Amino acid sequence: MKWEIHRRETWLHETNPSLKLIVLVILFFAVLFIHNPNVLINFSLALFVLFCFGTGYSANALVWMFLPFFLIFVSTASSMMMFGEGKTTWFRWGLIHVTEESFWRGVHLGFRALALGLLGLIFSLTTRPVHLFYSLMQQLKLKPKYAYSFLAAVRLLPMMIEEFQNVHYALKVRGVPNRGGFSKVKRYAIPLLSQSIRRAQRIAVAMEAKQFSGSGPRTFYYEIGFGKYDVLFVILFVVLLFVSYHVGIHYPYISINDVR
Amino acid sequence: MVKTARGLKLADILTTIVIAIVFGVIYKVWSPVYEVVKVFGVHADQLVYGMWFIASSLTYLLIRKPGVALLAEIAASSGELIMGSQWGLEVLIYGVVQGLFAELVFAAFRYRRFDVFVVSLSAVSATVGSLIMDFYKGYIEALAPWNMALFLLARFVGAILISGVFAVSLAKALEKTGVTQMWRPASKEDYDALNR
Repeated sequence: MKWEIHRRETWLHETNPSLKLIVLVILFFAVLFIHNPNVLINFSLALFVLFCFGTGYSANALVWMFLPFFLIFVSTASSMMMFGEGKTTWFRWGLIHVTEESFWRGVHLGFRALALGLLGLIFSLTTRPVHLFYSLMQQLKLKPKYAYSFLAAVRLLPMMIEEFQNVHYALKVRGVPNRGGFSKVKRYAIPLLSQSIRRAQRIAVAMEAKQFSGSGPRTFYYEIGFGKYDVLFVILFVVLLFVSYHVGIHYPYISINDVR
Repeated sequence: MVKTARGLKLADILTTIVIAIVFGVIYKVWSPVYEVVKVFGVHADQLVYGMWFIASSLTYLLIRKPGVALLAEIAASSGELIMGSQWGLEVLIYGVVQGLFAELVFAAFRYRRFDVFVVSLSAVSATVGSLIMDFYKGYIEALAPWNMALFLLARFVGAILISGVFAVSLAKALEKTGVTQMWRPASKEDYDALNR
Protein backbone atom coordinates (compact mmCIF):
# COMPACT_ATOMS: atom_id res chain seq x y z
CA MET A 1 0.00 0.00 0.00
CA LYS A 2 0.84 3.64 -0.21
CA TRP A 3 2.83 3.85 2.98
CA GLU A 4 4.96 0.84 2.16
CA ILE A 5 7.20 2.71 -0.23
CA HIS A 6 10.92 2.28 0.01
CA ARG A 7 12.45 3.53 3.22
CA ARG A 8 15.22 2.93 5.70
CA GLU A 9 14.57 2.22 9.33
CA THR A 10 15.86 5.08 11.43
CA TRP A 11 16.37 5.45 15.15
CA LEU A 12 12.85 6.85 15.37
CA HIS A 13 11.51 3.44 14.34
CA GLU A 14 13.30 1.95 17.34
CA THR A 15 11.60 4.12 19.92
CA ASN A 16 8.77 2.76 22.01
CA PRO A 17 5.46 3.45 20.20
CA SER A 18 3.46 4.19 23.35
CA LEU A 19 6.08 6.62 24.59
CA LYS A 20 6.24 8.25 21.17
CA LEU A 21 2.46 8.63 21.08
CA ILE A 22 2.34 10.16 24.56
CA VAL A 23 5.20 12.59 23.86
CA LEU A 24 3.64 13.69 20.58
CA VAL A 25 0.21 14.19 22.17
CA ILE A 26 1.83 16.35 24.85
CA LEU A 27 3.61 18.34 22.14
CA PHE A 28 0.30 18.71 20.32
CA PHE A 29 -1.17 20.48 23.32
CA ALA A 30 2.03 22.46 23.81
CA VAL A 31 1.70 23.77 20.25
CA LEU A 32 -1.89 24.82 20.95
CA PHE A 33 -0.62 27.01 23.76
CA ILE A 34 2.12 28.72 21.76
CA HIS A 35 0.78 32.16 20.87
CA ASN A 36 4.07 33.71 19.80
CA PRO A 37 4.58 33.29 16.04
CA ASN A 38 8.38 33.50 16.33
CA VAL A 39 8.53 30.53 18.67
CA LEU A 40 6.09 28.57 16.55
CA ILE A 41 8.03 29.21 13.33
CA ASN A 42 11.22 27.95 14.97
CA PHE A 43 9.51 24.85 16.30
CA SER A 44 7.89 24.11 12.92
CA LEU A 45 11.27 24.40 11.22
CA ALA A 46 12.79 22.01 13.75
CA LEU A 47 10.01 19.50 13.09
CA PHE A 48 10.50 19.93 9.36
CA VAL A 49 14.20 19.08 9.68
CA LEU A 50 13.30 16.00 11.72
CA PHE A 51 10.70 15.04 9.12
CA CYS A 52 13.30 15.31 6.32
CA PHE A 53 16.20 13.55 8.00
CA GLY A 54 14.64 11.43 10.72
CA THR A 55 11.94 9.44 8.97
CA GLY A 56 14.19 7.59 6.49
CA TYR A 57 12.10 8.22 3.38
CA SER A 58 13.53 9.20 0.02
CA ALA A 59 13.52 12.86 -0.99
CA ASN A 60 10.96 12.09 -3.68
CA ALA A 61 8.48 10.56 -1.23
CA LEU A 62 9.03 13.39 1.24
CA VAL A 63 8.18 16.01 -1.38
CA TRP A 64 4.91 14.24 -2.26
CA MET A 65 3.95 13.97 1.37
CA PHE A 66 4.78 17.59 1.97
CA LEU A 67 2.85 19.05 -0.98
CA PRO A 68 -0.62 18.90 0.65
CA PHE A 69 0.75 21.09 3.41
CA PHE A 70 0.75 24.08 1.10
CA LEU A 71 -2.97 23.69 0.53
CA ILE A 72 -3.49 23.26 4.27
CA PHE A 73 -1.36 26.32 4.97
CA VAL A 74 -3.31 28.48 2.52
CA SER A 75 -6.74 27.20 3.54
CA THR A 76 -6.05 27.56 7.27
CA ALA A 77 -4.48 30.97 6.97
CA SER A 78 -6.76 32.56 4.37
CA SER A 79 -10.08 32.83 6.18
CA MET A 80 -8.46 34.30 9.29
CA MET A 81 -6.46 36.74 7.15
CA MET A 82 -9.49 37.95 5.24
CA PHE A 83 -12.21 37.87 7.87
CA GLY A 84 -10.37 38.14 11.18
CA GLU A 85 -10.68 41.14 13.44
CA GLY A 86 -7.92 43.70 13.85
CA LYS A 87 -7.13 47.42 14.10
CA THR A 88 -4.42 48.29 11.57
CA THR A 89 -6.16 48.02 8.19
CA TRP A 90 -4.03 46.97 5.24
CA PHE A 91 -6.69 46.25 2.70
CA ARG A 92 -10.46 46.35 2.47
CA TRP A 93 -12.71 45.15 -0.31
CA GLY A 94 -16.34 44.49 0.46
CA LEU A 95 -16.49 41.93 3.24
CA ILE A 96 -12.81 41.14 2.94
CA HIS A 97 -10.86 43.08 5.51
CA VAL A 98 -7.17 42.34 5.92
CA THR A 99 -5.52 43.87 8.96
CA GLU A 100 -2.03 43.53 10.30
CA GLU A 101 -3.29 41.59 13.31
CA SER A 102 -5.46 39.22 11.33
CA PHE A 103 -2.72 38.69 8.74
CA TRP A 104 -0.17 37.55 11.31
CA ARG A 105 -2.79 35.55 13.13
CA GLY A 106 -3.48 33.81 9.83
CA VAL A 107 0.21 33.12 9.31
CA HIS A 108 0.44 31.81 12.85
CA LEU A 109 -2.49 29.47 12.21
CA GLY A 110 -0.85 28.27 9.02
CA PHE A 111 2.35 27.40 10.88
CA ARG A 112 0.36 25.78 13.63
CA ALA A 113 -1.38 23.53 11.14
CA LEU A 114 2.04 22.76 9.69
CA ALA A 115 3.52 21.85 13.08
CA LEU A 116 0.56 19.69 14.08
CA GLY A 117 0.56 17.96 10.70
CA LEU A 118 4.28 17.24 10.94
CA LEU A 119 3.89 15.79 14.44
CA GLY A 120 1.28 13.38 13.10
CA LEU A 121 3.28 12.45 10.02
CA ILE A 122 6.47 11.87 12.02
CA PHE A 123 4.49 9.45 14.16
CA SER A 124 2.79 7.54 11.39
CA LEU A 125 5.87 7.35 9.18
CA THR A 126 8.01 5.84 11.90
CA THR A 127 5.56 3.54 13.65
CA ARG A 128 4.41 0.13 12.52
CA PRO A 129 0.75 -0.36 13.49
CA VAL A 130 1.43 -3.87 14.78
CA HIS A 131 4.14 -2.61 17.11
CA LEU A 132 1.92 0.24 18.26
CA PHE A 133 -0.85 -2.10 19.40
CA TYR A 134 1.56 -4.61 20.98
CA SER A 135 3.15 -1.75 22.85
CA LEU A 136 -0.22 -0.38 23.95
CA MET A 137 -1.07 -3.80 25.38
CA GLN A 138 2.26 -4.19 27.15
CA GLN A 139 3.01 -0.69 28.36
CA LEU A 140 -0.42 0.92 28.70
CA LYS A 141 -2.38 -2.24 29.56
CA LEU A 142 -4.88 -1.91 26.75
CA LYS A 143 -7.18 -4.93 26.86
CA PRO A 144 -6.18 -7.55 24.26
CA LYS A 145 -9.72 -7.77 22.89
CA TYR A 146 -9.50 -4.13 21.83
CA ALA A 147 -5.96 -4.32 20.47
CA TYR A 148 -6.50 -7.51 18.48
CA SER A 149 -9.82 -6.20 17.14
CA PHE A 150 -8.00 -3.15 15.83
CA LEU A 151 -5.31 -5.29 14.24
CA ALA A 152 -7.87 -7.60 12.64
CA ALA A 153 -9.86 -4.64 11.33
CA VAL A 154 -6.76 -3.09 9.78
CA ARG A 155 -6.22 -6.32 7.84
CA LEU A 156 -9.72 -6.00 6.39
CA LEU A 157 -8.91 -2.67 4.82
CA PRO A 158 -7.65 -4.05 1.46
CA MET A 159 -10.84 -6.11 1.18
CA MET A 160 -12.97 -3.03 1.79
CA ILE A 161 -11.12 -1.12 -0.90
CA GLU A 162 -11.60 -4.01 -3.32
CA GLU A 163 -15.31 -4.10 -2.50
CA PHE A 164 -15.53 -0.39 -3.04
CA GLN A 165 -14.15 -0.95 -6.55
CA ASN A 166 -16.62 -3.79 -7.16
CA VAL A 167 -19.58 -1.67 -6.15
CA HIS A 168 -18.28 1.09 -8.35
CA TYR A 169 -18.05 -1.20 -11.41
CA ALA A 170 -21.38 -2.86 -10.66
CA LEU A 171 -23.15 0.49 -10.54
CA LYS A 172 -21.41 1.55 -13.73
CA VAL A 173 -22.33 -1.59 -15.62
CA ARG A 174 -25.97 -1.20 -14.64
CA GLY A 175 -25.94 2.38 -15.81
CA VAL A 176 -26.71 3.97 -12.45
CA PRO A 177 -26.09 7.70 -12.89
CA ASN A 178 -23.02 8.82 -10.99
CA ARG A 179 -24.59 11.75 -9.20
CA GLY A 180 -26.66 12.69 -6.21
CA GLY A 181 -25.28 13.66 -2.80
CA PHE A 182 -26.69 11.55 0.00
CA SER A 183 -28.23 8.94 -2.27
CA LYS A 184 -24.83 8.34 -3.84
CA VAL A 185 -23.12 7.96 -0.48
CA LYS A 186 -25.87 5.53 0.45
CA ARG A 187 -25.46 3.45 -2.70
CA TYR A 188 -21.84 2.85 -1.72
CA ALA A 189 -22.19 2.80 2.05
CA ILE A 190 -24.96 0.20 2.41
CA PRO A 191 -23.27 -2.69 0.56
CA LEU A 192 -19.85 -1.82 2.00
CA LEU A 193 -21.14 -1.58 5.56
CA SER A 194 -23.35 -4.65 5.46
CA GLN A 195 -20.62 -6.84 3.96
CA SER A 196 -18.08 -5.54 6.47
CA ILE A 197 -20.41 -6.13 9.40
CA ARG A 198 -21.11 -9.71 8.31
CA ARG A 199 -17.41 -10.37 7.88
CA ALA A 200 -16.61 -8.79 11.24
CA GLN A 201 -19.14 -11.01 12.98
CA ARG A 202 -17.69 -14.16 11.43
CA ILE A 203 -14.15 -13.16 12.35
CA ALA A 204 -15.22 -12.30 15.87
CA VAL A 205 -16.62 -15.79 16.38
CA ALA A 206 -13.32 -17.28 15.23
CA MET A 207 -11.32 -14.96 17.45
CA GLU A 208 -13.46 -15.68 20.49
CA ALA A 209 -13.01 -19.41 19.89
CA LYS A 210 -9.25 -18.80 19.95
CA GLN A 211 -9.48 -16.91 23.24
CA PHE A 212 -8.49 -13.53 21.90
CA SER A 213 -11.13 -12.11 24.19
CA GLY A 214 -9.67 -13.77 27.29
CA SER A 215 -8.54 -11.56 30.12
CA GLY A 216 -6.01 -13.85 31.80
CA PRO A 217 -2.24 -13.41 31.64
CA ARG A 218 -0.83 -13.83 28.16
CA THR A 219 2.44 -13.85 26.31
CA PHE A 220 3.22 -11.71 23.28
CA TYR A 221 4.92 -12.52 20.01
CA TYR A 222 6.53 -9.10 19.96
CA GLU A 223 8.05 -8.08 23.27
CA ILE A 224 8.35 -4.31 23.24
CA GLY A 225 10.32 -2.45 25.90
CA PHE A 226 12.41 0.66 26.26
CA GLY A 227 15.92 1.44 25.06
CA LYS A 228 18.51 4.16 24.70
CA TYR A 229 16.63 5.75 21.78
CA ASP A 230 13.66 6.45 24.02
CA VAL A 231 15.86 8.57 26.27
CA LEU A 232 17.26 10.31 23.21
CA PHE A 233 13.74 10.95 21.90
CA VAL A 234 12.54 12.64 25.07
CA ILE A 235 15.72 14.69 25.45
CA LEU A 236 15.60 15.77 21.81
CA PHE A 237 12.12 17.22 22.12
CA VAL A 238 12.81 18.94 25.42
CA VAL A 239 15.86 20.58 23.82
CA LEU A 240 13.96 21.48 20.64
CA LEU A 241 11.18 23.19 22.58
CA PHE A 242 13.64 25.00 24.83
CA VAL A 243 15.80 26.23 21.95
CA SER A 244 12.89 27.34 19.77
CA TYR A 245 11.43 29.23 22.72
CA HIS A 246 14.62 31.11 23.55
CA VAL A 247 15.59 31.84 19.95
CA GLY A 248 12.04 33.04 19.32
CA ILE A 249 12.11 35.40 22.28
CA HIS A 250 15.60 36.81 21.78
CA TYR A 251 15.91 36.85 17.98
CA PRO A 252 12.35 37.46 16.71
CA TYR A 253 11.54 37.58 12.98
CA ILE A 254 8.53 39.84 13.45
CA SER A 255 7.69 42.22 16.25
CA ILE A 256 4.41 40.57 17.29
CA ASN A 257 4.75 38.45 20.44
CA ASP A 258 1.18 37.34 20.87
CA VAL A 259 -1.31 36.91 18.04
CA ARG A 260 -4.40 36.77 20.24
CA MET B 1 -31.45 -16.39 27.09
CA VAL B 2 -27.79 -16.42 28.01
CA LYS B 3 -26.88 -13.57 30.28
CA THR B 4 -24.38 -11.36 28.49
CA ALA B 5 -21.24 -10.28 30.24
CA ARG B 6 -20.92 -6.67 31.28
CA GLY B 7 -19.26 -4.38 28.80
CA LEU B 8 -18.56 -4.95 25.17
CA LYS B 9 -17.90 -8.39 23.72
CA LEU B 10 -15.17 -8.96 21.20
CA ALA B 11 -17.80 -9.18 18.45
CA ASP B 12 -19.17 -5.75 19.38
CA ILE B 13 -15.72 -4.24 19.49
CA LEU B 14 -14.63 -5.72 16.18
CA THR B 15 -17.83 -4.69 14.41
CA THR B 16 -17.62 -1.17 15.79
CA ILE B 17 -14.04 -0.83 14.65
CA VAL B 18 -14.79 -2.25 11.21
CA ILE B 19 -17.71 0.16 10.70
CA ALA B 20 -15.49 2.98 11.86
CA ILE B 21 -12.77 1.97 9.42
CA VAL B 22 -15.26 1.92 6.54
CA PHE B 23 -15.93 5.52 7.48
CA GLY B 24 -12.18 6.02 7.80
CA VAL B 25 -11.97 5.13 4.12
CA ILE B 26 -14.87 7.46 3.36
CA TYR B 27 -13.20 10.28 5.32
CA LYS B 28 -10.04 9.73 3.33
CA VAL B 29 -12.02 10.22 0.12
CA TRP B 30 -13.90 13.03 1.79
CA SER B 31 -11.08 15.22 3.07
CA PRO B 32 -9.73 16.42 -0.33
CA VAL B 33 -13.28 17.62 -1.14
CA TYR B 34 -13.37 19.28 2.24
CA GLU B 35 -10.04 21.00 1.67
CA VAL B 36 -11.08 22.35 -1.72
CA VAL B 37 -14.32 23.91 -0.49
CA LYS B 38 -12.46 25.21 2.54
CA VAL B 39 -10.14 27.51 0.60
CA PHE B 40 -13.03 29.78 -0.39
CA GLY B 41 -13.15 31.02 3.18
CA VAL B 42 -16.92 31.46 3.44
CA HIS B 43 -17.26 28.27 5.49
CA ALA B 44 -19.06 26.16 2.90
CA ASP B 45 -16.81 23.42 4.26
CA GLN B 46 -18.56 23.58 7.62
CA LEU B 47 -21.73 22.13 6.10
CA VAL B 48 -19.98 18.84 5.45
CA TYR B 49 -18.14 18.82 8.77
CA GLY B 50 -20.87 16.61 10.25
CA MET B 51 -19.54 13.70 8.22
CA TRP B 52 -16.83 13.46 10.85
CA PHE B 53 -19.31 12.46 13.58
CA ILE B 54 -21.34 9.88 11.69
CA ALA B 55 -19.33 6.83 12.75
CA SER B 56 -20.37 7.26 16.37
CA SER B 57 -24.06 7.83 15.72
CA LEU B 58 -24.35 4.94 13.28
CA THR B 59 -22.62 2.38 15.50
CA TYR B 60 -24.74 3.52 18.42
CA LEU B 61 -27.90 3.00 16.36
CA LEU B 62 -26.80 -0.45 15.24
CA ILE B 63 -25.12 -1.95 18.31
CA ARG B 64 -26.97 0.01 21.00
CA LYS B 65 -24.46 -0.50 23.79
CA PRO B 66 -22.59 1.92 26.06
CA GLY B 67 -19.15 2.87 24.85
CA VAL B 68 -19.51 2.07 21.16
CA ALA B 69 -19.95 5.70 20.13
CA LEU B 70 -16.67 6.69 21.77
CA LEU B 71 -14.89 3.60 20.48
CA ALA B 72 -16.14 4.19 16.94
CA GLU B 73 -14.94 7.76 16.89
CA ILE B 74 -11.52 6.78 18.27
CA ALA B 75 -11.23 3.94 15.77
CA ALA B 76 -12.25 6.10 12.82
CA SER B 77 -9.77 8.77 13.77
CA SER B 78 -6.92 6.40 14.53
CA GLY B 79 -7.52 4.79 11.15
CA GLU B 80 -6.61 8.10 9.66
CA LEU B 81 -3.47 8.29 11.79
CA ILE B 82 -2.36 4.81 10.74
CA MET B 83 -3.01 5.54 7.10
CA GLY B 84 -0.72 8.56 7.35
CA SER B 85 -2.91 11.60 7.00
CA GLN B 86 -1.43 15.07 7.43
CA TRP B 87 -4.01 15.60 10.12
CA GLY B 88 -3.04 12.38 11.92
CA LEU B 89 -2.57 13.32 15.52
CA GLU B 90 -4.97 16.22 15.40
CA VAL B 91 -7.73 14.01 14.04
CA LEU B 92 -7.12 11.47 16.79
CA ILE B 93 -7.44 14.05 19.55
CA TYR B 94 -10.50 15.66 17.94
CA GLY B 95 -11.95 12.16 17.58
CA VAL B 96 -11.56 11.39 21.27
CA VAL B 97 -13.19 14.67 22.29
CA GLN B 98 -16.07 14.36 19.80
CA GLY B 99 -16.66 10.74 20.72
CA LEU B 100 -16.81 11.64 24.41
CA PHE B 101 -19.30 14.41 23.79
CA ALA B 102 -21.53 12.19 21.66
CA GLU B 103 -21.33 9.41 24.23
CA LEU B 104 -22.39 11.83 26.99
CA VAL B 105 -25.71 12.45 25.25
CA PHE B 106 -26.40 8.75 24.81
CA ALA B 107 -25.51 8.18 28.46
CA ALA B 108 -27.86 11.00 29.47
CA PHE B 109 -30.68 9.03 27.84
CA ARG B 110 -29.37 5.88 29.57
CA TYR B 111 -28.85 4.15 26.22
CA ARG B 112 -32.57 3.60 25.81
CA ARG B 113 -33.57 5.91 22.98
CA PHE B 114 -32.57 5.37 19.39
CA ASP B 115 -34.44 8.02 17.41
CA VAL B 116 -33.59 10.99 15.24
CA PHE B 117 -33.88 13.39 18.15
CA VAL B 118 -31.30 11.73 20.39
CA VAL B 119 -28.89 11.09 17.55
CA SER B 120 -29.18 14.67 16.36
CA LEU B 121 -28.60 15.87 19.88
CA SER B 122 -25.45 13.78 20.05
CA ALA B 123 -24.34 15.32 16.76
CA VAL B 124 -24.87 18.77 18.27
CA SER B 125 -22.91 17.71 21.34
CA ALA B 126 -20.05 16.37 19.22
CA THR B 127 -20.10 19.68 17.36
CA VAL B 128 -19.71 21.51 20.67
CA GLY B 129 -16.74 19.24 21.40
CA SER B 130 -15.17 20.08 18.08
CA LEU B 131 -15.75 23.78 18.69
CA ILE B 132 -13.97 23.64 22.03
CA MET B 133 -10.95 22.20 20.25
CA ASP B 134 -11.23 24.81 17.48
CA PHE B 135 -11.44 27.55 20.07
CA TYR B 136 -7.93 26.64 21.21
CA LYS B 137 -6.56 25.77 17.83
CA GLY B 138 -8.08 28.23 15.39
CA TYR B 139 -8.84 31.38 17.38
CA ILE B 140 -12.36 31.24 15.94
CA GLU B 141 -13.49 33.82 18.45
CA ALA B 142 -11.32 36.35 16.60
CA LEU B 143 -13.33 36.08 13.39
CA ALA B 144 -15.63 38.94 12.51
CA PRO B 145 -19.06 38.37 14.14
CA TRP B 146 -21.04 37.79 10.91
CA ASN B 147 -18.39 35.37 9.73
CA MET B 148 -18.38 33.45 12.97
CA ALA B 149 -22.17 33.22 13.01
CA LEU B 150 -22.10 31.77 9.51
CA PHE B 151 -19.39 29.34 10.60
CA LEU B 152 -21.36 28.11 13.62
CA LEU B 153 -24.67 27.88 11.81
CA ALA B 154 -23.17 25.88 8.95
CA ARG B 155 -21.45 23.45 11.26
CA PHE B 156 -24.49 22.78 13.47
CA VAL B 157 -26.90 22.41 10.55
CA GLY B 158 -24.48 20.14 8.71
CA ALA B 159 -23.96 17.97 11.79
CA ILE B 160 -27.68 17.51 12.41
CA LEU B 161 -28.38 16.69 8.77
CA ILE B 162 -25.51 14.27 8.27
CA SER B 163 -24.85 12.66 11.64
CA GLY B 164 -28.45 12.90 12.78
CA VAL B 165 -30.97 12.49 9.99
CA PHE B 166 -28.74 10.76 7.46
CA ALA B 167 -27.29 8.35 10.05
CA VAL B 168 -30.81 7.25 11.03
CA SER B 169 -31.75 6.60 7.42
CA LEU B 170 -28.52 4.61 6.91
CA ALA B 171 -29.24 2.59 10.04
CA LYS B 172 -32.78 1.82 8.85
CA ALA B 173 -31.48 0.64 5.48
CA LEU B 174 -28.91 -1.56 7.24
CA GLU B 175 -31.58 -3.06 9.50
CA LYS B 176 -33.33 -4.23 6.34
CA THR B 177 -30.23 -6.08 5.17
CA GLY B 178 -30.46 -8.18 8.32
CA VAL B 179 -26.95 -7.54 9.57
CA THR B 180 -28.21 -6.33 12.92
CA GLN B 181 -29.79 -9.68 13.76
CA MET B 182 -26.86 -10.58 15.95
CA TRP B 183 -27.62 -7.81 18.42
CA ARG B 184 -31.38 -8.12 18.31
CA PRO B 185 -31.83 -11.84 17.71
CA ALA B 186 -35.56 -12.31 18.10
CA SER B 187 -38.09 -9.63 18.83
CA LYS B 188 -41.62 -10.04 20.12
CA GLU B 189 -42.94 -9.59 16.60
CA ASP B 190 -40.87 -12.51 15.36
CA TYR B 191 -42.44 -14.78 17.95
CA ASP B 192 -45.88 -13.44 17.10
CA ALA B 193 -45.22 -14.22 13.46
CA LEU B 194 -44.40 -17.82 14.39
CA ASN B 195 -47.59 -18.23 16.39
CA ARG B 196 -49.86 -17.03 13.65
